[in-house]
Amino acid sequence: MRIQVQCFGVTRRYVESDVIGIDLDEPATVADALAQLASRSGEMATVLTQCAVAIGDELVRRNHPLRAGDELALLPPVAGG
Amino acid sequence: MTEHDYPRIQDRALSLDALLAGSERPDCGALTVFSGTVRNHHEGRQVLRLRYTSHVPLAERMIREIEAETCARFDVPLCRVVHRIGDLAIGESAILAIVRSGHRAEAFEALRYLVDKVKHRVPIWKEEFYADGSSAFVTGCCIAEDEDGADPHPHAHDHDHAHSSTASHS
Repeated sequence: MRIQVQCFGVTRRYVESDVIGIDLDEPATVADALAQLASRSGEMATVLTQCAVAIGDELVRRNHPLRAGDELALLPPVAGG
Repeated sequence: MTEHDYPRIQDRALSLDALLAGSERPDCGALTVFSGTVRNHHEGRQVLRLRYTSHVPLAERMIREIEAETCARFDVPLCRVVHRIGDLAIGESAILAIVRSGHRAEAFEALRYLVDKVKHRVPIWKEEFYADGSSAFVTGCCIAEDEDGADPHPHAHDHDHAHSSTASHS
């Protein structure tokens, strides 16, 4: 199945665009998506260990099951203010 | 919280007058105000400007939750926060927060808690642009929840430490 990944903050520097599509074997969880993203580069793998993940306006855990068409948001450590 | 509604994440210059509008309460003797403004230096480097980005739907929800949590925790009737996104020049306001309460002690305490929570929990990122042409994201607080279902990551607690910059980019 194909899902979309929206890259925020520093994660954007390690991918080719704000939103990227990735293909996963079913069934898949958030952890599977992150593992595939981590394989792209060591820098990406490092920052992913510190990322929260959201679907819509909800934070989801690593074991959250994915459905085709889901859009994940990668949320690296935050620094507002 | 109040019936007064407005976007917590805004892409234009923040207005204290707008934030205060309709917040007056006859039972409150204290109003505390915080403005976080863009500084021209960070860890010895000259900063020319900042860019803030956000996951807006989640940030909107989380700021509202933090306002409500702060009101309950400190028993104050009114808290409001707005945060700017986009490109900001030195001196511009990145965040405005207000608290109204019966007395000043809880107004100061609640304001500090409110601002700390927004800075450490809400999905907003700060990218600094330096005089040498490079830029970096300010390293912040991890907001991932522990996988065992416990509270958010220990780094997401209240703290005053300075955050360093990483991922320099020319």
